Amino acid sequence: MADRTAHVSWSGSLMEGGGTITSVGSGAFGPLDVTWASRAEESDGRTSPEELIAAAHAACFSMALSHGLANAGTPAESLDTSATVTFVPGTGITKIALSVRGEVPGLGVAAFREAAEGARAGCPVSQALAAVPEITLDAALA
Amino acid sequence: MPRIIREADIAWEGTVSRGSGVVTASSSGAFELPVTIASRVGDPDGKTSPEELLAAAHASCFVTSLGSELHRAGAPAERVDVHCTITMDEVEGKGHLIVHSAIAARVVAPNATREILDAATKAADEGCPLSALIRASATVTVNATLEGGT
Repeated sequence: MADRTAHVSWSGSLMEGGGTITSVGSGAFGPLDVTWASRAEESDGRTSPEELIAAAHAACFSMALSHGLANAGTPAESLDTSATVTFVPGTGITKIALSVRGEVPGLGVAAFREAAEGARAGCPVSQALAAVPEITLDAALA
Repeated sequence: MPRIIREADIAWEGTVSRGSGVVTASSSGAFELPVTIASRVGDPDGKTSPEELLAAAHASCFVTSLGSELHRAGAPAERVDVHCTITMDEVEGKGHLIVHSAIAARVVAPNATREILDAATKAADEGCPLSALIRASATVTVNATLEGGT
């Protein structure tokens, strides 16, 4: 079992105020500023819940795919993954688009796509976010 | 309604057990962080993980929801502190799953009563998109306490 923690402080109103991800359990990042304007309009160098979700999903998917390929006897040399999260205020997160390019010696594109689909369906973040209406995958060999 | 797009990238080298990746906040450029499987499931060793990033996402999503609900209730917060803990566990037959997200909020809102805070907390949980998503497959608990209220 693994617990991971984060702490955020917010001062002032939603529109005029601002927040800070003051610290995370690992100490790997923070403080990072967050504001409503940078979430809903231009990011202006600030992260947002949706960007953090994109980072979580891209990292989780890559680990699952790496694991799946290694288990199948065709370990990847490298995987480059992007996750793009679409957020509609008042509606929620409507779409996550995953895109991966892999360097996998000895593996054909069909088998790579199948492994990538397995990671998309099975990684813990995909399962936690399974209620997102659309999670798409574009997988190809580099 | 405007569509808001946020993007992140990761470059992963090597196998999952020995390899490592660097995750980058591509929309904002706000962070670039190493991740490994060992630091994800074991001692974090100063490295972030998907679950920690999700904890940061849930905390920062909830904090804005709670702030706006208190404002709507006529008891605007001067300050809201939110702590989020995401738990991943190995579930028999299903592998690793995110099983729980625990939100703990501390609120400074001079006009808020316990009743106002409770109602705002419930509405914030319902309004935060990430709470709804996580609740579809795991448990979410939300706890809020008032500091300096009446």
